[in-house]
Amino acid sequence: MAKRFSAPLERTARLLDLVPYINTHQGISIKELSGVFKVSSTQMVSDLTTLWMCGLPGYTPLELMDLDFESGFVTINNAPTLSKPRSISFDEGVALLLGLDLLRSSISSDRRDLIERIDSLSERLSTLIKLPSALSATAPVNEQISRAVLKSIKSQTGLQIVYHSLYRDEITTREIFPIEIIDNHSQQYLSAYCYTAQDFRQFKLDRVQSAQIINIEKTVPATSIDSKKIPFIVSVIKPTREIAERFNQPRLKPTTNFESASYSKQWIERSILASGSAVALQSPPEIRISVAEMAQSMLDRYKAG
Amino acid sequence: MSRKIERLINLTIALLATKRYLTKTEIFRSVEGYEGSAETKERMFERDKDDLRSLGIDIEVGSFDPLFHDEAGYRIKQEKYQLDLGEITPIEISLLSLAAEAWQGASLDEAAQRALVKLKSMGIPVDDLILPGAVHKLSDSGEDLALLTKAIAEHQRLSFTYVDAALKKQVRSIVPIGLSTRSGLWYITGVDQKIEEIRTFRIDRIDGEITTSKGPKDFETPAGFDPKRVFDSQGTNTFALVDVRKGKASALRALASTEHSLGEWDQLRIPILNVNSLASLVLWHGEDAFVQEPQDLRDLVIQHLEALVSNHG
Repeated sequence: MAKRFSAPLERTARLLDLVPYINTHQGISIKELSGVFKVSSTQMVSDLTTLWMCGLPGYTPLELMDLDFESGFVTINNAPTLSKPRSISFDEGVALLLGLDLLRSSISSDRRDLIERIDSLSERLSTLIKLPSALSATAPVNEQISRAVLKSIKSQTGLQIVYHSLYRDEITTREIFPIEIIDNHSQQYLSAYCYTAQDFRQFKLDRVQSAQIINIEKTVPATSIDSKKIPFIVSVIKPTREIAERFNQPRLKPTTNFESASYSKQWIERSILASGSAVALQSPPEIRISVAEMAQSMLDRYKAG
Repeated sequence: MSRKIERLINLTIALLATKRYLTKTEIFRSVEGYEGSAETKERMFERDKDDLRSLGIDIEVGSFDPLFHDEAGYRIKQEKYQLDLGEITPIEISLLSLAAEAWQGASLDEAAQRALVKLKSMGIPVDDLILPGAVHKLSDSGEDLALLTKAIAEHQRLSFTYVDAALKKQVRSIVPIGLSTRSGLWYITGVDQKIEEIRTFRIDRIDGEITTSKGPKDFETPAGFDPKRVFDSQGTNTFALVDVRKGKASALRALASTEHSLGEWDQLRIPILNVNSLASLVLWHGEDAFVQEPQDLRDLVIQHLEALVSNHG
């Protein structure tokens, strides 16, 4: 986490940064200035009052900064020593570098002009904070999709998406009404009403293969018709990290059982198959049987060829 | 409290404005706010110096005449104090604003915003750049990015407990060289100090605290290291041939380097990075995926299937 300074130091930093900002934004209102520095107007007036007392040794009106804010609008003169913005800190540089790299990965490759600018900025920033080529961030979603999704949320229109469902292993075209983008366990999901499923659904953004704005005049029901979760019991044969992460069971012990639930029968079947010899499904019995049958039929094919 | 702040600002101004080193005596005499006994002033000044340095302000110590051991003096060089990124264009300011926006709601949000205010203080007009990239956000959950990046910059050694694929806890020690994020997960890459090879670790698989210590002397980042290629399959020369049913197994198709049609099925050529996770992904796809080659992957899949049959019989 970014290092937090003590209150007086944080305020000192803010005062130092206020001078160059006012210098290039002469006549800015106190209200707007407070917004830029994310403090209350009262705090801003107190900051400006403190700054007004500062200047070069001598501290006569000639040496003090000429700061005027009585009218509610701020101007500054006679502050040449502090008039240039301070250099950026290491953390600030890291934040910008990672942000730039993420941006770079989401810009379409025909914008060579922008990519060149980003590369040039990254080079200058990493030289400045002495951290050459060590950071990388990748956007998992392509730009046309994010553009369409954002636009449809903003303008409240429908969206037609081609979506890859991992559990069903199916690519389907769906008409949806997007509601919001949510972050869950660092993954981004699009929460939407799906006209195809006639229910609310969450779509993992990086599995949306294409998205197109459409006009639909259907209404969205207020609440979700909650489908039922299927409870299941798994016994652990060999604890592995893969199993712990797949079933979200951080504390796995051999020869123990854990219980969980899922909305999808297919998800349970596939998860058990993918776990191979490490686990065994205890219940529900019908899924246990279908897993055994699928495994047997796959095995037959390997033995045959 | 505000007297202390005034003093720090006045000290910064005085040290920036001076063309030569200012001695402590001169500072105490001319900069407002230094009061009390000689010892009190001395203590105040030492603390002020540390405070300004912690804000990233570089205070130089020197003397008027290096031939004589006279009193040390202090100053802040304007060129080190001020932001210098060369010529910045309106488009670049817009790009940096978008870069800062990516942190909204994540840990470096404040740092990114502070940097942006400084950049905007340069008085460069901003071009309205409409880029659809705004949906991409950097997200993190408790990774100490400041600690990790600092360790990279200073070639420190990082030690931590890592949960390996068998769920065993191993103590690893690396000199970090890269930090990457992909789909919301964070990865640290470094030179493992035991095996002396480059390894990448997923940070959420680190158990407990990461401790830093002094790194090895004369450490150098291995030549040719590129953080953007940490996840590339470059370098593998083993491939699997996997048949998948038409219209199915998109997750396997995404990994394939080539794909050709066999009628009802397609054959994929997939670089093998980790044979166990590939076997698991093939099994996930059930009867829609079938391994042709290599034999060891086939054997592994068969072993799992035999166990699945007997464990669910």
